[in-house]
Amino acid sequence: MAQRALPQSKEALLKSYNKRLKDDVKSLLDNFSEIIKLARVEEETQVSRMTQCEEDHFEMLVRASNIVRAGESLMKLVTDLKQYLILNDFPSANEAISQTARSMLAMQQESDRKLMALRDDLAADLYDLEEEYYSSPFK
Amino acid sequence: MANSSMPIERLQALDNVEKEIASCIQSAGQALTELSKDKASMKQVESHTSQFLKTLNHVEGELSKHINYLTQVSTGQPHEGSAYGSVKMYKTARHRLEHTCSRLQDLENLKNRALASTVRPASAQNNP
Repeated sequence: MAQRALPQSKEALLKSYNKRLKDDVKSLLDNFSEIIKLARVEEETQVSRMTQCEEDHFEMLVRASNIVRAGESLMKLVTDLKQYLILNDFPSANEAISQTARSMLAMQQESDRKLMALRDDLAADLYDLEEEYYSSPFK
Repeated sequence: MANSSMPIERLQALDNVEKEIASCIQSAGQALTELSKDKASMKQVESHTSQFLKTLNHVEGELSKHINYLTQVSTGQPHEGSAYGSVKMYKTARHRLEHTCSRLQDLENLKNRALASTVRPASAQNNP
């Protein structure tokens, strides 16, 4: 399909979606790998082991929060994509409208067909009723 | 990418992506939980980690695919199509049907009144 020139706002919006996706996936990967790296117990240097443990613990908490935040940001991106899809996916919107129009037309034709059959039955019964009425003393 | 897929299928695919994101973070949590144990099973850690990486890769691929599709099909204009005409025709057919029902109901009531009036003089004659 040939690429049409999108309005700048839509193009910028789609680019921002791509950027958000890349950033969130990178954040998930980086934070996870950094937590794994922190699991290595190193030799005691200038900082005492207890202090180092506290620091590592705090860093792990922050990185775990970052992972959760990146995951929630990805969920928000999926929600935004769903909204954009519903509003701007023209082939699907056209298909949905055509399907609705076809089903409405089919129901309308079925209803009218049954009404015409009812009319024909009533016309036949009316013929007999008129015969009866006009040959009775009540006319 | 097939352009003729139903809209509901694309939305369901995005629903599946959401579930995969949740399972991805769960795999990451399980890998770290296993690693935090005193006697960690490295096989389990590696299995959860590879599951996390595989799911994340799949999520990224799926979302990129959807964004590329939207880049191709979106025009920037609002969609102005509607099924209003056919819905209106269906509603007028329903009105015709309801009008017919009401006229037939009137006929039914008329018949019942006539039957009741013929039964009453007959019973009055039988019981003087």
